[in-house]
Amino acid sequence: MSDARLRRVQKEIKDCAKDKTSNISIDMIDESPFHLIGAFPGPPDTPYEGGYYEVDIVIPDAYPFQPVKMKFITKVYHPNVSSASGAICLDILKDAWSPVLTLKSTLISLQSLLCEPVPNDPQDAEVAKHYLADRESFNATAKHWAQAYAQAPVHKQKAISGKLATDAEMAGLSEENVAGFTDMGFPREQVPWLAH
Amino acid sequence: MSSDGDNDDFVYDDEYEYDDGFDQDEEADEIDSTSEPDVYDALSPAIEEAPQKKPYDVTWKVKTLQEIIDMQNKEIKKIQSVLEVPPSSAAVLLRHYAWNSEKLQEQFWNDPATALQEAGLSPPSSPTTSTQPLPSGPFECPVCCMDYDAASLEKNTYAMGCGHRFCKDCWTEYLTGKIKAEGESGNIQCMEDGCSRIVREEVIDEMVAADVFKKYHNLLNAAFVADSPNLRWCPHPDCQYIIECNQAPTRMLDQLVPTVECKCGNELCFGCGHPASHRPVLCRVVKMWEKKCADDSETANWLQANTKECGKCNSTIEKNGGCNHMTCKKCKWEFCWVCMGPWSEHGTSWYQCNRFDEKSGVDARDTQAKSRASLDRYLHYFNRWANHEHSAKLDAEFYKKTEKKMEQMQNSGNLSWIEVQFAKQAVDVVIKARITLKWSYCMAFYLKRNNMTELFEDNQRDLERAVENLGYLLEQNIIDTDSIAKLRSDITNQAAYVQKRHDILMDDTLKGYLERRWEFAIPT
Repeated sequence: MSDARLRRVQKEIKDCAKDKTSNISIDMIDESPFHLIGAFPGPPDTPYEGGYYEVDIVIPDAYPFQPVKMKFITKVYHPNVSSASGAICLDILKDAWSPVLTLKSTLISLQSLLCEPVPNDPQDAEVAKHYLADRESFNATAKHWAQAYAQAPVHKQKAISGKLATDAEMAGLSEENVAGFTDMGFPREQVPWLAH
Repeated sequence: MSSDGDNDDFVYDDEYEYDDGFDQDEEADEIDSTSEPDVYDALSPAIEEAPQKKPYDVTWKVKTLQEIIDMQNKEIKKIQSVLEVPPSSAAVLLRHYAWNSEKLQEQFWNDPATALQEAGLSPPSSPTTSTQPLPSGPFECPVCCMDYDAASLEKNTYAMGCGHRFCKDCWTEYLTGKIKAEGESGNIQCMEDGCSRIVREEVIDEMVAADVFKKYHNLLNAAFVADSPNLRWCPHPDCQYIIECNQAPTRMLDQLVPTVECKCGNELCFGCGHPASHRPVLCRVVKMWEKKCADDSETANWLQANTKECGKCNSTIEKNGGCNHMTCKKCKWEFCWVCMGPWSEHGTSWYQCNRFDEKSGVDARDTQAKSRASLDRYLHYFNRWANHEHSAKLDAEFYKKTEKKMEQMQNSGNLSWIEVQFAKQAVDVVIKARITLKWSYCMAFYLKRNNMTELFEDNQRDLERAVENLGYLLEQNIIDTDSIAKLRSDITNQAAYVQKRHDILMDDTLKGYLERRWEFAIPT
């Protein structure tokens, strides 16, 4: 069946290269067609707009009968994506997978996941909490991450208060969180998420 | 109490009786009228009466795998004729409704189209082989991207009633993976994204290898047993039997401890699947206790031996070196490790505490004692429970020792084989009593302190003493012929006494549930 797997993956890569409208790219990392990098632009009218997101793709042996393994390479601030590892919580990557789904359709699903987070089934509980508690502040942080990690264009950002956003606000942290580190003797610029 | 599998007069469940079971109803009534007019007997009219049935005992039957398959086929046949659907559709419907044929019929007659669709069977009259028109031109399988020309389509591709066509190789691969790797059976859906059509038995039979199809059937049987509240697999290794018990539904488990015996010779609890009797303790309490013991026992023992609590905030503190001047990391309270009193009163007597009786030190130790009390209480019950558990585990050794002694008695006392069996019987009694005692400590841990609990603990103590005496007698060395005769009568008497104390404890406790006498210090 590995013939079928190779045939299918090669066809998928070819089809995707031919398709200029979807803005989705799938590229090989090395010789192997079973370890790929997918990429797509952040969807418009979201905090991810203007960013460019890369996804690590591993094709399992039983593909397409087993779901493809995907995780974000680009850091994303999103309730269903781990802010530390890039792991993705999406049903079609698990039990809702169907053999007719393709790499392209899965990447499109990831793109729409960025449009519509599912905070009730979170991968990153802290981010989901932020999303549910204060949407405006969440959006600011997500946008900041898009600028910092996904090459989204940087504009001087206004914080909720009308003043310039502090580094802590941008990282989705409160000043108390930062104080927790600085009290222990860490210099401010070494606090995780503030240090870029 | 029957474990005979005479399935001729088998009744699936009172609730599943339909008009075709006319003969069975008559038979059931007959049996019912001969049995005691007891409220608990009314629950299962069709199972024959045991000689000494206690109100807290349940009746059960042991079924073979074939009987389980027959049960399913019987249900499928019934639904097939009532709903007028093909047998494979009846099976899919029943599995979708977890074999609740009443609910299935209700939903079906309410709205047949929706019922079929929800079960993954639309359109209703879907044939087993596809009548979907074959594509006229060449066809590329959307899964493996293989091209098929129009001539080979019929032979090499397949689509269910939903019309989603794939090549047969992909179907085989897909179904084999679902069955072997993911353990799915009755709810394997079409490969198409979002299509919920269920792949039926005939299709699976056609597509997969024989061993996979066999596994598919095993999974279906397992799902049937799991879906049926009155069935349970025997949990003992390599045992293939299934227990059927209609008297222990979940709602009864606050009043009953449904211990049953499988044909493989082992006991199990029908309520929770515990692979041994846990009488007289309720399933729910056993579960809680086992969880607590898994979490707590070793940790608690270590804490007991190595730590003290802070006199101010009750944090548990381990002293791992340094002097006796302790500062609680949490609340910054400074105290002396030896007397537990505040360090501020120690003055200059550094590194040497001679003030054990000062009031502040006594107070600090009182606070600590209280927080220790709950730990001590738990360890008290746990250690006794674990002790009996350990003794029961030494069964095999105990038997061996006793067998040796029995041989000795046969040789030196000129007793026959049958005359020395009393020793083996006594060992059986001891082991049984120890298991009951073990669980009685779990019970006592959760009981509220009241008069009933005191009576329980009296019974427990009497049984424990009797068991220890019998254990002592069984350990005695045989000196001469005269002593054998005396020992034999002593052991026989004591074993009878243990058995009696055991039955009293069990009887009283189990009846207590029915009379709602026991109050637990846990949320119900």
